Amino acid sequence: MIAIQKEDIDIGKLINEAKKRGTGAIVVFDGIVRDDDIREMELEAYEEVAVPELEKIASEAKKTYNLLSVDIIHRIGSLAVGENILVIVVGAGHRKEAYEGSRFIIEAIKAGVPIWKKELRKDGDCWVPGEHQHGCGHKS
Amino acid sequence: MTVRIRFFARFRELLGTDIIVDAPKGKVLSDLVKDVASKNKEGYDAIFDEKGTFREFVILMQNGKRVETTAAAMTRVADGDEIAVFPPVAGG
Repeated sequence: MIAIQKEDIDIGKLINEAKKRGTGAIVVFDGIVRDDDIREMELEAYEEVAVPELEKIASEAKKTYNLLSVDIIHRIGSLAVGENILVIVVGAGHRKEAYEGSRFIIEAIKAGVPIWKKELRKDGDCWVPGEHQHGCGHKS
Repeated sequence: MTVRIRFFARFRELLGTDIIVDAPKGKVLSDLVKDVASKNKEGYDAIFDEKGTFREFVILMQNGKRVETTAAAMTRVADGDEIAVFPPVAGG
């Protein structure tokens, strides 16, 4: 499942559905709103481009790391500290491929998928700068 | 011809989003974005430097495909195009 959504993510369901006959390892990445002295976080996406980009990343990861399943669900909207932002569930025959595939996916998302985060801070709001220092605050 | 411009993140806050522009035939991408951004000085300054050149971090897309900002002055827009203008991504 590849999706961008406002609703929270049922990680247990994704893990169960990722299990196939050949699955020997499932790696779950759960990106969470960290308490950096913020009130909440707002996320927005260019969905018409972001979803196909996520599908492309999943397909490349499957091919490169011989993965049996990939789920990527990224949330948008207003999120409080402790809420899930992004869940990646990767299934493979062995742990090595699962770990490497998961790492590849998160780094690819951070590098190029059109999604943005704004921290609503107690001392003023700021856009998370990503890989470039165009905004304020720390890197994502 | 009609072109749709979408700004995202900080640019959206300053300039709005889903802006429909009636552009003359032959209009190039850089001029189109300049025209729309000129409506708000802070928005313009966020996208362009003092020489009117795209800031190095600005990302442009035409119908979902990336266009280098250095090529925007030579890229013509067409009727029905969707142009997206946004700062560096920060998902994950």
